[in-house]
Amino acid sequence: MEALLAVTIGVLVAGAVYLMLARNVLRFIFGLVLISNAANLVIFTAGRLTPGEPPLIPEGADAPVGTVANALPQALVLTAIVIGFGLFAFALVLMFRAYTSLGTLQSDEMRVAEPRDDGL
Amino acid sequence: MAPDLILILPEILLAVFAMAALLVGAFGGGDIRARPILWGVAAFMALVGLLVGLNPPAVGTAFGGAFTLDGFARFAKAGILLGAAILLLMSEDFLRRRGLLRFEFPVLIALATLGMMVMVSASDLMTLYMGIELQALALYVVAALDRDSPRSTEAGLKYFVLGALSSGLLLYGASLVYGYAGTTLFSGIVAAAAAGEGPQLGLLLGLVLMLTGLAFKVSAVPFHMWTPDVYEGAPTPVTAFFATVPKLAALALFARLVHEAFGAIAADWRQIVAFLSVASMFLGAVAAIGQTDIKRLMAYSSISHMGFALMGLAAGTEFGVQALLIYAAIYVVMNIGTFAFILSMEKDGEPVSEIASLNMYSAIAPGRALALMVLLFSLAGVPPLVGFFGKLYVIRAAVQADMVWLAVAAVIASVIAAFYYLRIVYLMYFGAPREGLDGGMAPAQWIALSASALAMVLGVINLFGIEGLAAAAAATLAGA
Amino acid sequence: MTDEPNAAPAAPGLAGLLPVALSAVLFAGFLALVPQVADGGAIRLAWDWVPTLGIALSFLVDGLSLTFALLISGIGALVFLYSWAYLGRKPEFGRYTLFLTGFMLSMLGLVLADNLIALFVFWELTTITSYLLIGFNHEQADARRAALQALFVTGAGALAMLAGFILLGFTAGSFELSVILAQGEALRAHALYLPILILILAGTFTKSAQFPFHFWLPNAMAAPTPVSAFLHSATMVKAGVYLMARLHPALSGTEIWMWSLTIFGAITAVFASVVALRQTDLKQALAYTTLMALGTLTLFLGQESGYAMTAFATFLIVHSLYKAALFLVVGNIDYATGTRDARILGGLARTMPVTAFAAALAAMSMAGLPPFLGFIGKELKYAGALAVASEPLVVAGAILIASALMLAVAGVVAIRPFWLPPGGAFPRQPRPAPWPMLTGPVILALLGATFGIYPDTLERALVAPTVAALLGSAEEAKPLVLWAGVNLPLILSVATIVLGVTIYAFKLRLRAALARAEAALPSFDAGWDRFLKGLNRVAVWQTRVIQPGVLRFYIFVTFVTVLIGAAGTMLARGALPALPSLSTVTWDGLALSLLIVAGAAIAAVTGSRIAAMAALGVVGIAVAMIFIVFGAPDVAITQLLVETLVVVLVAVALLRLPALDPPGTRDRRPRDAVLAGAVGLTVTLTLLAVIERPLDRSLTDYFETASWVEAFGRNIVNVILVDFRALDTFGEIAVVVIAALSAYALLRTTDKRRPE
Repeated sequence: MEALLAVTIGVLVAGAVYLMLARNVLRFIFGLVLISNAANLVIFTAGRLTPGEPPLIPEGADAPVGTVANALPQALVLTAIVIGFGLFAFALVLMFRAYTSLGTLQSDEMRVAEPRDDGL
Repeated sequence: MAPDLILILPEILLAVFAMAALLVGAFGGGDIRARPILWGVAAFMALVGLLVGLNPPAVGTAFGGAFTLDGFARFAKAGILLGAAILLLMSEDFLRRRGLLRFEFPVLIALATLGMMVMVSASDLMTLYMGIELQALALYVVAALDRDSPRSTEAGLKYFVLGALSSGLLLYGASLVYGYAGTTLFSGIVAAAAAGEGPQLGLLLGLVLMLTGLAFKVSAVPFHMWTPDVYEGAPTPVTAFFATVPKLAALALFARLVHEAFGAIAADWRQIVAFLSVASMFLGAVAAIGQTDIKRLMAYSSISHMGFALMGLAAGTEFGVQALLIYAAIYVVMNIGTFAFILSMEKDGEPVSEIASLNMYSAIAPGRALALMVLLFSLAGVPPLVGFFGKLYVIRAAVQADMVWLAVAAVIASVIAAFYYLRIVYLMYFGAPREGLDGGMAPAQWIALSASALAMVLGVINLFGIEGLAAAAAATLAGA
Repeated sequence: MTDEPNAAPAAPGLAGLLPVALSAVLFAGFLALVPQVADGGAIRLAWDWVPTLGIALSFLVDGLSLTFALLISGIGALVFLYSWAYLGRKPEFGRYTLFLTGFMLSMLGLVLADNLIALFVFWELTTITSYLLIGFNHEQADARRAALQALFVTGAGALAMLAGFILLGFTAGSFELSVILAQGEALRAHALYLPILILILAGTFTKSAQFPFHFWLPNAMAAPTPVSAFLHSATMVKAGVYLMARLHPALSGTEIWMWSLTIFGAITAVFASVVALRQTDLKQALAYTTLMALGTLTLFLGQESGYAMTAFATFLIVHSLYKAALFLVVGNIDYATGTRDARILGGLARTMPVTAFAAALAAMSMAGLPPFLGFIGKELKYAGALAVASEPLVVAGAILIASALMLAVAGVVAIRPFWLPPGGAFPRQPRPAPWPMLTGPVILALLGATFGIYPDTLERALVAPTVAALLGSAEEAKPLVLWAGVNLPLILSVATIVLGVTIYAFKLRLRAALARAEAALPSFDAGWDRFLKGLNRVAVWQTRVIQPGVLRFYIFVTFVTVLIGAAGTMLARGALPALPSLSTVTWDGLALSLLIVAGAAIAAVTGSRIAAMAALGVVGIAVAMIFIVFGAPDVAITQLLVETLVVVLVAVALLRLPALDPPGTRDRRPRDAVLAGAVGLTVTLTLLAVIERPLDRSLTDYFETASWVEAFGRNIVNVILVDFRALDTFGEIAVVVIAALSAYALLRTTDKRRPE
């Protein structure tokens, strides 16, 4: 199953990379959303998959009973999700600012820093 | 938990103070309070910096090993906090005169500094990632601080896009390393790497991706491309900040990661770091030659300097770490002084960053020109100024580690790099007379400029004892 | 071309004589050290500087450095005296004196330093002060250009030399010259010997104007004449020669040392003396003969024999004496007539008899006629050349040609302007030079004669100690004698004189031929301008190519680099991950995977914002479902929550943002698609590489057992987050706060715009 997810993640990353390379910065954001999802899945997969039981300790026991899912990656994914969301929210605001201030979302037109060169 | 909290007391203090400043700003009148907030944050950071540097309540690890406060972290944190405080004070005048002095600026700087403090203490992949994000997010915003300037917005956007990309690569690499080692603790990773057999492909790929992410943060070639555009576009105080304190933090993080987590496969990362180092030294040196904007020039200068600093790391030895720390500290001081000057560059009340405006500057302001000349000579590594000794240290580290080719490359790169600094000196003293700068200089800027220039001269006596401090700090990281 | 000397002879302020007194005192001080040094007692002074890096501030007085110090301070005193009369009434004289004094002290520091770093600092100070002095007439464009050219060429060389010093210092384990010189054997065998040698020679060759870096020196003649006399003949240009001599015990004796010095020295000597003949400006002619002398000195330093070293030491002194004298003579001619053009000048012996006398003496020394010191120098040069281990005849031939040409040039400078009829009208009525301008040339010229007649004084005092510093023993020094019997050097001397006189007789015809040849050959000076332009073009080109300001390009490069890095790692390890087993694939897992793939594909290619949003939502929800299936309900809930927020925020934002593609275009990028596919494939492969190895679950096991016992939590994930990894939670909160603050900072509108 990990192998299948590895392939899935590969496709997800490919889509994200393609979007990130787009001219429109909004597409970059879409790519960012996809790659965040991919990252979460990577952490999750890297911790190996265990179908079924969540990592809970039943009442009266000192440790989980039977095989439970790996708890550590879950904690890490939670952290990553929250940070990823913070990043995303900020990105959206920044896009918005960029659009109002630059009047475009086409990154090729954002070259105030470098003199335009028609030869390129 | 109590000992844990004592170890992160400086972080907690800074976080609480930043929140308080935020509340004061948000509910206490907004930007009217910006100036006292800025001074307050600066003073507080300096205070915490002294606390960490001189007399920390405790050293050790906390949170199950995820957080380390050792000599190395103390050295870096003291540098980060003091540097950030000085930069804030230097920027005040510039921000005020451009209408950019808003209360969120010092708060964001404080939060970025907080992130950097976490970075240099991180001994766990997740803590590392968190520190980086904390720092980066705050910096993305300050890059786009000047809402009225399309350049600033563009700089912020570019910095964000590439920064987010690098964070993503770092996180991906960290996930792979975790998948290999089963733990995110540096101590666990190094044990798993030492015990591992076979090609260790997962670990290596994780390493490569993490180094890629970090290379972004230190502007190492070929991940340097954001640097010139962002340095030029961002408001100058932000550029000054970018060029100094986060570089120190990223270098420290870099050093801790490779030594503590990947110490067992040093041969692998030393090659990569050596490549980054050579590429950065040369590209930074060559590309700077054609620049006409001093902020862009400083971008290439910092790329080149990071190459030199990484050379200490590539050595993979304790002396290498010591050299790296000394180099980074000297670099920060030199850049603070230089940017104090750049902040004061203006003509008819508008900021100027064309190098050509420095023509015959020595005739306009002999004192400032002299101080700047000293700094530029030091940046170029001309003996006997302190910058030269920084270079000597890292080169020696490479020679000692039998990386002679790297040392030879470094000296050649430093020869090329010297030219563009000397060109500015030439312009200031022998350029064609023309309409130049006419602005004054705020006291804080003037003090920073002259103090750092003076340090470059007086430091030649014994480098202010920084050698010993750096040696002690390096011993805690790579000594074992 | 001429600089403007004082309009009228007058006594300028006496303060201008202070540097004369200073140099005279220094000279006397050094002179007092001669007996001790001649007895083999080198003097060393040292203070610690940066002990960790082995750097000290130390000075060494031995035969070699003392010879240089005496030349510098002695000629310095005479040049200061000369300058006082020559420029003393100009308003910039104060500045001039300051620069020149600074130069002299730096030069003394250079030759006396026993530490490579200190030596470099003094070396750079001479570069900078000489820059200021060459550009002294800064209202002249050619003076500015010449000054900058000299600064660039010698500055670049010096930095390369510093690089060599650093390597040398680390190789030898010390930056102290006295330590380095003692380990010649080890250094020559070291792997770094070649880079060290090349870098250091880059410094010495540029400073001493060796071919092909010679072009700056003739241009530097834009400096006032006393400066040329001091810097560009007697002292600064000899700094490179000094350094090669200083390091001779450590670095010489290898094939590469011998050949590079011999070849470059010989080419410089012959080339320069040929070009010297072609000059009509007396100062330019002397400048090229200086190049010839520097080439000869370099050539001898390439050797090992006692003859070569004695020739080196003697010729060093000879040349400094007569060249400084002749430069000052040219200064007097310039002062008297307002021109330095050899074609016009003539008949000056009557107006300026003292100058003519000094010129004659100095020129005869330069021509190598007996009984002058120059004759002994020339004899020794031949003896030294014949002692060269390989190809002695070629070396001797080069010296023969050069010496003969020198003789001819000496004639041009000393005979023509004084004794032959003038070739045209002078710009002004000739006038005699005042006494301070006569003292220097006369003393220097007389010294050349005195030492020629009494050579053993010079031999004992300076030549033998210098040879001792080079070869380790004064025994190696050969005697300085006027008459050594009829031997091969004497025969060569006679040949030189015959050839030289012939060349002088035919000089006009030769000059025309040389001018034609020179016009046909590429000019180094023009090449220099082209080099500067080219350098700038490269820099501009690189900016355009690798720093175009296009964000997509940066992202593209980043991904390509990552791809190369990852693929390179796999190739280097020669390992691909093993093919995974798909036996554990579950149906729900497969379905969710397909959903994710479809969502990603649609999001990537669609041009519709609504479709993209929907696709992103599908991916998010499918990922959440995977979390549920594999036992992570907490994560799934958070994921769903966040995903909902994401979709809502995007929807709100899209209302205010433009369409994805400009009207009439579609987003199709095959090149990007290939890269994206490759990156995706790499990610899959790396992930497979990670999961093919069983996971070390010890940490998880620890959390599972410790969760309840230590932290009293039954939800292990929660316990990890709030207890074991509280720091992460702390950070998360901070990140969210910053994100909120950022949004506020970016979006808030303020009325407090910049005050206009």
